[in-house]
Amino acid sequence: MQEALAALEQLAPVQALKVSFYVYPLVNALHIAAIGALWTSIALMDLRLLGAFSSLPESASLAIFRRIALVAMAVAAASGLALFAVRAGHYAEMTIFLVKMGLIVLAGLNLLIFDRLAKRPRSRRALALSAIASLVLWMAVLICGRFIGFL
Amino acid sequence: MSVRNPVLTVTSAAAITALLAIPALAHHGWSWTADGFFELEGVITEIYLGNPHATLAVDVEGTSWRVELAPPSATMRAGFTEESAKVGNEVTAIGNRSREETEPRMKAVRLIVNGKTYDVYPNRVPPS
Repeated sequence: MQEALAALEQLAPVQALKVSFYVYPLVNALHIAAIGALWTSIALMDLRLLGAFSSLPESASLAIFRRIALVAMAVAAASGLALFAVRAGHYAEMTIFLVKMGLIVLAGLNLLIFDRLAKRPRSRRALALSAIASLVLWMAVLICGRFIGFL
Repeated sequence: MSVRNPVLTVTSAAAITALLAIPALAHHGWSWTADGFFELEGVITEIYLGNPHATLAVDVEGTSWRVELAPPSATMRAGFTEESAKVGNEVTAIGNRSREETEPRMKAVRLIVNGKTYDVYPNRVPPS
C-alpha cells in the first residue's frame, strides 16, 4: 500500500502539481466549488424530503438535486484525488483523512438504503431519518475535510 | 413529532459544529503565531517541499517540531530546494512560534542550513 502511494506521488503530473504556483490553488478551488455544489444540492434534497420548500414538486426537484449532486461528487472526487496524490503517503496516515473517507462510505450506504426505502410504500418516517443522517454525515465530511489542512 | 422539528434540530446542530470548527482555520497565515522572533536549532528528520505548505520536521532533544515554510514556489525562490538540505543536517530556523506554548510548531521566515541562509519570507526577517 505504502509503495503504491509512493508511486502515485512520483507520477510526473503529480510532481508538477506538487510545486506549481497556479495549478494547485486552481485544483483546490475546483474541489471547493464541487463541495459547495455537492453540499448544497444534498442539503436541498434532504430538506425537501423533510418538508421544506413545499412549493417545489417533490419528485422533479429531487431528480434535479440528485443529478447536480452526482456531477458535483464526480468533480469533487477527481479534484480530491489530485490534491491527495501530492502527499498520498502522508494523508493516508492521517486519522482525520481516514475518518472523512469512512464517513463518505457511510453516506454512500445511506443513499443505497434510501433508494431501497423509497421503493416501499409508507416509509415516510424512515426516509426522513435517512435524510437527517445524510445532513449530519455530509456536514461531518465537510468538517473533517477542512481539518486535514490544519493538522 | 412534526417533520419541521428535525430540520431545525439538524440545522442548529450543523451551525454549532461549524462555529466550533472556526478556530482550526487559524493555521493559515500568521494569526496562529506569537509575536517576537523565535529561534529553533535541531536536526532535520523530514523535508517536504510542496503544496500546500513546505514543511520540515526537526528533532530538538527528542521533541519533533513542525517548521512551516513559505509555499513551495516562494521557498524555492529563496534558494531553498531539494538539494539545499538533507535529513540529518542541522538547521537553525528563525521565525514565529505557535501561540500555544505546548505546541511544537513554528513558521520560519529564515533558515540556516549547511552555513547558508535562506530567507523564505524576505519581508519578515529580523532587522540585521
